[in-house]
Amino acid sequence: MNAMHALRIFAAESFRDGLRRRLGFAVAIVLAIGLAGAQSCTQLGSGGMEVNGEVIDGRVVGGFLAPILFAIQAWAVLAIAGLLAADHLARPLAEGNAVLWLARPVSRGVWASARLLGALGVALVCGTVLLGGTGAMLVLRQDVAIGPALEAAAATALGALVVASLAMAASLAMGRMAVLLLVLLGLAVIALANGVGLVNEMAHPDVAVGGLFGAIDRYGPPLFTAIAGAVVKWNPHIDPGDAFPQAMLRLAVWAVGGVALLITAFRRREIES
Amino acid sequence: MFSLELAGASKRYGRRHALTSVDLAVPQGMSVGLLGANGAGKTTALRLLLGFARPTKGAARLRGLDPFDPASRRGVGYLPERLRLPPAMTVQRFLHVHAALAGLSGADAMREIEAVTEITGVRDRLQEAVDGLSKGLAQRVGFAQALLGRPDVLLLDEPTSGLDPLGVRDARAWIESARARGATVLVSSHVLSEVERCCDHVVILREGRIAASGALETLVQPGETLEDVFVRAVAGGAAPGPPDHQDGGQPTPGTVDLEAGR
Repeated sequence: MNAMHALRIFAAESFRDGLRRRLGFAVAIVLAIGLAGAQSCTQLGSGGMEVNGEVIDGRVVGGFLAPILFAIQAWAVLAIAGLLAADHLARPLAEGNAVLWLARPVSRGVWASARLLGALGVALVCGTVLLGGTGAMLVLRQDVAIGPALEAAAATALGALVVASLAMAASLAMGRMAVLLLVLLGLAVIALANGVGLVNEMAHPDVAVGGLFGAIDRYGPPLFTAIAGAVVKWNPHIDPGDAFPQAMLRLAVWAVGGVALLITAFRRREIES
Repeated sequence: MFSLELAGASKRYGRRHALTSVDLAVPQGMSVGLLGANGAGKTTALRLLLGFARPTKGAARLRGLDPFDPASRRGVGYLPERLRLPPAMTVQRFLHVHAALAGLSGADAMREIEAVTEITGVRDRLQEAVDGLSKGLAQRVGFAQALLGRPDVLLLDEPTSGLDPLGVRDARAWIESARARGATVLVSSHVLSEVERCCDHVVILREGRIAASGALETLVQPGETLEDVFVRAVAGGAAPGPPDHQDGGQPTPGTVDLEAGR
């Protein structure tokens, strides 16, 4: 059996395992709330609207509303990826059924990658429902272009890989609750740092943000910079420049680093039997 | 090339020495019982052989390869001491995945699954969820997965745990059948009678060192039982071993070449 065959078998099992998780119920609620929110926020049709006697083009309103809505939904997808990954590898190790698989002629890298793919697969299904639904509503009701939505979805998928791989690697050294908190806290801090960075870039492009947030924004995984870099294109008043490709490149580096860290950490891990 | 080999293997967990300079070489086709009191290092030895842990010192080899090399586990069947079957899988699905991992596919996999489930008595349980099985049935399913693909090397950690007397008798027959077709069998167990019946060689560990080892007929003197040998070895008395591993009548803890004792 070659490694790819083993990876396919384990990834399929890991995906099924991910769908069976109790967390699935919470995920379903998040999806329902997310889609209901998108349904509500996109009720405003295309065309003009009047605010304080001034007529504002609906596309301008959509240009502000759509990125925020899409970024919130993307945050939910990233959180789902991290929460699923937090014990998708650690659980079979703790329960003891991992030894049965690892006693087969399969490398640890393949097994860890398959567990990651399974968790990621579930998160991406959620992402397709949530971002696909939100994107469709925005495109149809707010008359925004579909291109930025697809770019932001790609950024979310890459971001989910980063979050899931790092959460899974952390789960090899930390307890489940600690990893869950780390995921939620980490996503909040990165969102804030990226948000501050983006606002600063628009307001004072020649002044860099200092301190911890500045460092996180410059060197951390640009999870929200990449998503925002895509969806701000919906706003005709903002020129994102090359923010999206730059952020995607950095995100790709983080993704490679995250997967490499996970596989290295798992190879070094001693398996209980 | 030995099927199973520990070369000066030591394993330390923090300050606790689980294994100390253990040399063990098991040729193909030999059946070895690994005995020892709780915490003697039996499971640690198996973990090193399967690549679940790295020796702190020395080396482990499985089928002549580093156990961390996936190729070393080709043709290896393993039944862990604490068998935990993956939740929410049917017996058939569980065995089907293991058959695929053992290199079987299509009709060959189906034939093999039918054969091992027939032998282990779980043929009529194929559609049941593995997490709903009783301990004894789960152990039978565990045995079925270990026997899939007719492995050349069978590593069994407390194989009769949870089995009823009939199951224990069946397990002996499965092990005997593997031996008869030339598989190397390593059985780690507390049940001396089981080892006596299934194995032709024994290794007794005491505090991470080999306290006694060799062919059963060499170790167990007339009028003795394996229990006498075990108690003597574990209690720290004169530890018997094959004559060529004794130094002036004294045992050489931690070293055994079972081939010499054949």
